[in-house]
Amino acid sequence: MTVTMQAPDLMPQLDADAEMKLCVADLSVYYGNFQAIKHASLRVPENCVMALIGPSGCGKSTFIRALNRMHDLAPDVRVEGTVTLDGEDIYAKDVDPVTIRHRIGMVFQRPNPFPKSIFENAVYGPRIHGVRNRKRLMEIAERSLRHAALWDEVKDRLDKSALELSGGQQQRLCIARVLAVEPEVILMDEPASALDPIATSKIEDLIGDLKKDYTVVIVTHSMQQAARISDYTAFFLMGELVEIGNTRDIFFKPRDKRTEDYITGRYG
Amino acid sequence: MAMSAAAGRIGTPDTAARRRATNSLMTGILWAAALSMIGLLVFFVGYILYLGAPVISWHFLTSPPSEVEAGGGIGPEIYNSFYILILTLIFTTPIATAGGVYLQEYARPGLFTSVVQFCAESLSTIPSIVMGLFGMLVFVDLFHWHFSALGGALTLTILNLPALMRVTQEALQTVPQTYREGSMALGATKWQTIRRVVLPSAIAPLTTGVVLIAGRIIGETAALIFTAGTSVSVGRSAYDLGLFHQAETLSVHLWYTHSEALVPDVTNIGNGSALVLLVMVLLFNISARLLGRALSKRLTGK
Repeated sequence: MTVTMQAPDLMPQLDADAEMKLCVADLSVYYGNFQAIKHASLRVPENCVMALIGPSGCGKSTFIRALNRMHDLAPDVRVEGTVTLDGEDIYAKDVDPVTIRHRIGMVFQRPNPFPKSIFENAVYGPRIHGVRNRKRLMEIAERSLRHAALWDEVKDRLDKSALELSGGQQQRLCIARVLAVEPEVILMDEPASALDPIATSKIEDLIGDLKKDYTVVIVTHSMQQAARISDYTAFFLMGELVEIGNTRDIFFKPRDKRTEDYITGRYG
Repeated sequence: MAMSAAAGRIGTPDTAARRRATNSLMTGILWAAALSMIGLLVFFVGYILYLGAPVISWHFLTSPPSEVEAGGGIGPEIYNSFYILILTLIFTTPIATAGGVYLQEYARPGLFTSVVQFCAESLSTIPSIVMGLFGMLVFVDLFHWHFSALGGALTLTILNLPALMRVTQEALQTVPQTYREGSMALGATKWQTIRRVVLPSAIAPLTTGVVLIAGRIIGETAALIFTAGTSVSVGRSAYDLGLFHQAETLSVHLWYTHSEALVPDVTNIGNGSALVLLVMVLLFNISARLLGRALSKRLTGK
């Protein structure tokens, strides 16, 4: 694993760094009266993979869903603080969350292909964004399916239902579906947790490949996975962002006692 | 001692035997209940078939009814039943589906939503005869439409709106939340998500719901007696699309012949009409289910 030895400062600074794709400052998320995320701040540099780790219920999924305004869909969830994409506040009043989700795509924990054909799943994004030309849609479908390492397995049955695919194939289709809308950031919420080891390793290889073109933030409950695929790691515990740094530093010389306890297996 | 190790040690052979007996008994009772449903249906259909089949003839199915002599048919009534059914569905389906989509997909819990739900539930408990009298006051008297197909269809629309709205809500509830999230996370708007993912995924239960409502509409009588009327041919062809013509349906005809008509062959007409009504509902159910399956296959690739 190659890691930049000179770690950029991942905590927000007053002079916003142009290299940073995403900046989260003082983010709190409430479910009703319960505060699930407590004043978290971090920055994600462009073209890297950042892993969010922590025990179950620590708020890492809640955190990642705040990054593309998915919480807007649920009543009773309140988000405070700022999240900026290329310096632009995604929670600003005049920002349409639909545009944000176009630029920041998301892959979910359980594969959720639509009950449509493989082809229709792949081109769902382009279609809703107005691409009608059949030839152009076909090109997009092939390119995204190839990029998601699924093309060879499905090229002869694009008109078959996506629900007939295996779980791992479905998840790669969901990744292809996100790639087809060409977002800038891809959020992944435990994308391999419902998959077997072989499917998991395919997804991991794919993530390593994706960072050439995209910025990836991934939630994982597997520390080994975080170690294998990420450049940076953030450790959450009970809604608090405890520590953030180069993945190697987090695993080999954590600064916080709680991080060390988690890494060495002292909590869940 | 750990619970798992003790699991096999508590209890006695005696309690085990009793538990087994209770289990068998309950299985038997539930099986019998299910069987009695099938038995009742088979008996009912068989009996109606036995009584009605001898009455059915081409003449009976296509001729107009007779006022005083024996030998009248039910042709116009069959036509009117479908005409009013289709009119009602044309009015009901868009409003009820849109209302259901609003309540399920857009409305946030609050006063307005509760009020809409409460009104729908209250509306759905109003007996159909009350709705028929209301329809008479409004469409027949107030609007001076007299007895009309349109008045009947609108009365049935009010009667069935809440149920179809509920059906729509329930159909939408079967669509996993993950589909909505997946679509929204790709930058789709709420409406695109509903139109391209949610509604196509719910098409099978939606169609089934519409069919169930359609069965109720075909069989509805009380709401039509005073709105669509008990007559079919007042100076016109019995088969036309006149919205303001009287339009006695088959189920109304069944009631009318038995309560007010002078014809001597009431029993025959009743038996035949009942059979035709039953077959109509059955055919409608089957074809609409096939349609739902075909639509679902086309829209969702399943």
